[in-house]
Amino acid sequence: MGIKIVPRHGNTLKEKLYLPAIFGGMKTTLSHLITNLSDTPEIKTINYPEEQPHDISERYRGVHRLTKRDDGSVRCVACFMCATACPAECIFIEAEERNDGVDEKMPKRFDIDLLECVFCGACVEACPCDAIRMDSGIFSFIGKKREDFVLSKEQLLANEEKKA
Amino acid sequence: MAHITVDGTVLEVKEGALLIEELLANNINIPHFCYHPALGKDGNCRMCMVEIEGQKRPQIACDTPIKEGMIIRTKGANIDRVKRSILELELINHPIDCPICDQAGECSLQNYYMDVGLYESRLSTPKTRGEKHVDLGANVVLDQERCVLCTRCVRFTKNITKTSELGVLSRADHSVITTFPGAKLSNPYAMNVVDLCPVGALTSKDFRFQKRVWFLNAKEAICDHCARGCSIFVDHHKEKYKDEVIYRYRPRLNDKINGYFICDAGRLSYHKENENKEFHALIRGKISEYEYAEGKLLRLLKRHLGKTAFVISSNLSLEEMVRVQKLAKLYEIALNAYEPERFDTSFGDDFLKCNDRSANARALPLLGIDTSKEMLQEALNRVELVVLIGRSDANVIKEMGYTQNIAILCSRCEVTCKEVELVLPIASHTRREGSFINLDGYVQHSACAIQSEHGHKTLLAILAPILGDTIFTCKEVWEAELFFYEVLKGVSFDSLKTTPKIAL
Ligand code: SF4
Ligand code: SF4
Ligand code: SF4
Ligand code: SF4
Ligand code: FES
Repeated sequence: MGIKIVPRHGNTLKEKLYLPAIFGGMKTTLSHLITNLSDTPEIKTINYPEEQPHDISERYRGVHRLTKRDDGSVRCVACFMCATACPAECIFIEAEERNDGVDEKMPKRFDIDLLECVFCGACVEACPCDAIRMDSGIFSFIGKKREDFVLSKEQLLANEEKKA
Repeated sequence: MAHITVDGTVLEVKEGALLIEELLANNINIPHFCYHPALGKDGNCRMCMVEIEGQKRPQIACDTPIKEGMIIRTKGANIDRVKRSILELELINHPIDCPICDQAGECSLQNYYMDVGLYESRLSTPKTRGEKHVDLGANVVLDQERCVLCTRCVRFTKNITKTSELGVLSRADHSVITTFPGAKLSNPYAMNVVDLCPVGALTSKDFRFQKRVWFLNAKEAICDHCARGCSIFVDHHKEKYKDEVIYRYRPRLNDKINGYFICDAGRLSYHKENENKEFHALIRGKISEYEYAEGKLLRLLKRHLGKTAFVISSNLSLEEMVRVQKLAKLYEIALNAYEPERFDTSFGDDFLKCNDRSANARALPLLGIDTSKEMLQEALNRVELVVLIGRSDANVIKEMGYTQNIAILCSRCEVTCKEVELVLPIASHTRREGSFINLDGYVQHSACAIQSEHGHKTLLAILAPILGDTIFTCKEVWEAELFFYEVLKGVSFDSLKTTPKIAL
């Protein structure tokens, strides 16, 4: 491999004094402070958590949910496409026979470990049945122990689509 | 010998043989459903079309005998169009429910569609529906909608098992595979139809929905359920945070032994390999650390030096037997392999299954290991420690009047009672490699050694430190010890791949 020689900067007196650069930076900060003080409502921050974000876009990838069929039963057929596509290997499925005549196969267990999930959305893309979506809009998830972050099939089914 | 040209390459093939046989043998991809090497041609699916120079229309490769100088095209826009049309025909009434189909991932329809299909459906009429879950019996479930009517399953029951349980009912769109009214699929080889079925129409109740096939790793092994020693694949998978689990056995082609098939009993015998999860080392009935129990074995052997007998199972591999024998010779330990329950007269038949249920009993006389009850009785009368190796039937020696110390080295054990001095779990059949001699004298190597999660060591690994050497693998045993045996002359570890035969 070739070696690239990079010239060293910072050897002039002005640069070695540091102070000019510091004052240069402070100038930017102070100018923002003055602008903001004179026009408070325009500040781009919110008082979270009292104030909730209002700009979550439709395509935001929140906590997953399992969708339902028209009759309210689980849509997922436990085909393992999502688990196969998942780069974090955090979807744990166990399949079972479905005997209600709607379909043949469904998940007995369907867990997603949110601590391992990287919220990439690959599972949603992979699903051939539109059975998993990340449109719940849930962006913050709180738990007291690690186990709380493993969402079960029932929890995932209970998550609703975010209302516009 | 004849010379044919396939896609511009000249091949030397057998004159008069079926074209598809030679093409497949030369690794040329010919899509096919109804042809199967064990069942022969049937010519009903028309999927195996090739172009032959001089013939007006494409021909089926499975029913074309080879003639000298044939010029054949298996690729190109023309023949692909033909294949695509046939595939379209096959798929007219197919439910395309791959997400819930166990065959997905190893399905001929899927593969051919990806090779030559990829068309937009032109169907505007509703599909003909069928039954999705017909229990045919013998652990086989039929989905009529997925069937391509290749009749492989029908021909299997007709020609191979000669039981003829299956047939095709009705005509045209409504044709379905079925059993005769009131009858069920019931023969000891029935589950082979699941492997034979090129699509997901026949699935195994045992494997149904257990695992998607693309997760499975296949390892080569041999079945230890009877003396035939059929070649099999062991399909296993380790799920995240879980132990290795074996999901199924499948037949592995071996012309000398089992051909393309195995029996159902052998196929389902994988369950026992998953059962040793809660099996721990025990010292007088109390759970102990594995390493401590291993040390205990050595201490027991030392304490009862000269007054010990090894009673081994005939299911041990050749390598294990030789090593146990070496240890026995070194310390003057009596060695016996008497097994009252080796033969099961209700098991055998005239195809593969045989009454001898021992995986490797043929090796015992070859190595000079005694199997007589008298010699065992004689040994039991003078020893004060019996080590059962590869077996846990302590009741056999107890019934012979033996009341002193017993140690058990085995992979499955029902005995947990306190009278047993030591129970040391060893790696079970699919978790260690080993060679076996089948009832006809064929020597095979079972290479499947799935990591044991519970730290159960292989017998070879337990014996090496006791013998004071570093021979852990089968290859090393062959090079160091088996090499000297007159009966195994001409057989080396590397030649086991070809299933050599020895005189029994
Ligand atoms: S979002 Fe990505 S990481 Fe998370 S479960 Fe889906 S596929 Fe896996
Ligand atoms: S969520 Fe979709 S991709 Fe995942 S198992 Fe269920 S049906 Fe298949
Ligand atoms: S069930 Fe399978 S093997 Fe039998 S005819 Fe149908 S596709 Fe062929
Ligand atoms: S015939 Fe014997 S060796 Fe073959 S699969 Fe059946 S039990 Fe196993
Ligand atoms: S394989 Fe040739 S017609 Fe079916």
